[in-house]
Amino acid sequence: MPRVQSSIADAHSVVGRQPRRWFPLAMAAAVVTLVWWSARGAEVDLPLLLRDGPQAMLSYAGKLFPPDLRPEFLLDTAFGALETLAISIMGSLLATLLAFGAVFFASANLMYAGVLFEREAAGRVRRGLRLSLYLGAKSLLNLLRTIPDIVWATVFVFAVGLGPFPGVLALGVHNGGVLGKLFGEVLENVDRRPIEALQATGATRFQILIYGILPQALPQFLAYALYRWEVNIRAAAMLGLVGAGGLGQRIHIAISLFLEHQLLTLLLAIYVIVTAVDYLSAYLRRLII
Amino acid sequence: MYRLENLRKVFDGDLVAVDDVSMKVDPGEQVAVIGPSGAGKTTLFRLLNLTLCPDGGRLWLGDLDVGRLHGRALRAARRRIGTIYQQHNLVPRLSVVHNVLAGRLGAWSGWRAVWSLFRPQELEAAHAALTQVGIPEKLYARTDELSGGQQQRVAIARVLVQEPEIILADEPVASVDPNLAHAIVRLLVEISRSSGKTLLMNLHSVELALAYFPRVIGFRGGKIEFDRPPVDVTEEMLGRLYAGISRSEAEEAGIPTPHDSPLICYGPLFPRK
Repeated sequence: MPRVQSSIADAHSVVGRQPRRWFPLAMAAAVVTLVWWSARGAEVDLPLLLRDGPQAMLSYAGKLFPPDLRPEFLLDTAFGALETLAISIMGSLLATLLAFGAVFFASANLMYAGVLFEREAAGRVRRGLRLSLYLGAKSLLNLLRTIPDIVWATVFVFAVGLGPFPGVLALGVHNGGVLGKLFGEVLENVDRRPIEALQATGATRFQILIYGILPQALPQFLAYALYRWEVNIRAAAMLGLVGAGGLGQRIHIAISLFLEHQLLTLLLAIYVIVTAVDYLSAYLRRLII
Repeated sequence: MYRLENLRKVFDGDLVAVDDVSMKVDPGEQVAVIGPSGAGKTTLFRLLNLTLCPDGGRLWLGDLDVGRLHGRALRAARRRIGTIYQQHNLVPRLSVVHNVLAGRLGAWSGWRAVWSLFRPQELEAAHAALTQVGIPEKLYARTDELSGGQQQRVAIARVLVQEPEIILADEPVASVDPNLAHAIVRLLVEISRSSGKTLLMNLHSVELALAYFPRVIGFRGGKIEFDRPPVDVTEEMLGRLYAGISRSEAEEAGIPTPHDSPLICYGPLFPRK
């Protein structure tokens, strides 16, 4: 009976569905309008770029050559590159720990909703407590994420002084928020059938977490952490601009003091370490998934 | 073992999935539940294995009113009921041994559960269960590398180490080939007979239900249509139970449909052997 009814309902909806020819046109018009508005808002001026741009860029690029390859400067560059690498590793590690600590509280299907709570009989107080913990963790992660890492770096330079350490803190805190969101999506998308099966054997929520949820989520957590590491190595090079150590700090000095040959060497160093980390991370992620 | 008194489950306020069902299942019985898809069979099983909370009526497990249990008492009651699912519901990335031992979680403390992931606890129980289902050599295999039939055997082994009083099997053979389907149903019925565990099984296939079970319940629209031994199940009963279902579903259930009717199957045409 229900099947018959649903097939009648399907037939109705097929008849009722008019071909909406205006829809693609309207979408195209909306996209064009949005692009035009953005170009105006961003003061995009192609003629300006084409009139003076190429000349200026070429002459600056010409001044960069040749790179400064004196041994003592190469040594300093290598030290800066290693410092940047170290900042990115420690920052990613801190971010992963922060996200891992908060994400379970920020996941609705672990805190109050879904199959784990079908037969939940918690009182109003406990329910409220859970919900506020959930909202608290969620908004904390949002806050960490929405403040850019460069702003965090400025704050931490004030707090702990110049050097790589504020860079680590800035990367860790900002990316803790980013990873928290990504981890949260992993948790909300785990297959819930094994979870239901484990619950039906009489397992506690903690046991369900370690047998049913983490085996599904951890490899993806790790893959996301590695992916953020790739982003962080680039970010770590930038954070130096506000005094948070690494190659960026040297770039900032080179630009300010017009040391163009040194600048080129530093840019090449960034190219090398970013590429190296990209490959390494991609390789490790392939191993996991 | 089970006693249902006007048990009721309503989804989203108006979709009545289980409609005032009353019945009794004695310890050690083997019961098959058949009916068209959408009849509410799975919802009934999810009430019986204490995953869902009933919206009305009472559910007795022995002398225990389990319909409103929660917390520790609920987990203790769940431990007495083992469930086998159509999709196996195993954790694909865990090795077979941990999926089997997951059946012990209800009996273990949290720390023992963690420790077992490094050094499997009660390994003999897992090995014995896998031997009983015929795949002892898969103990350390990764679960997602097994075939569908082997995964279903792992799921059965998980129930065996749980040592429940009742085994609920919700469409356990809907996603395996027919030969294997017979083997798995026979295995579960034998386990139930030899150990005295109560067995309730949802089945798509009328043939399997009539062949292996001393008691067959026809379920439709959230209600029990009939409840009797297979010899008393008539073609008219089956015809009424499956009236109006689609052709593909009828074929899946093993009920022949007239060739000229693409959608509706009218007749009580199930062939008796």
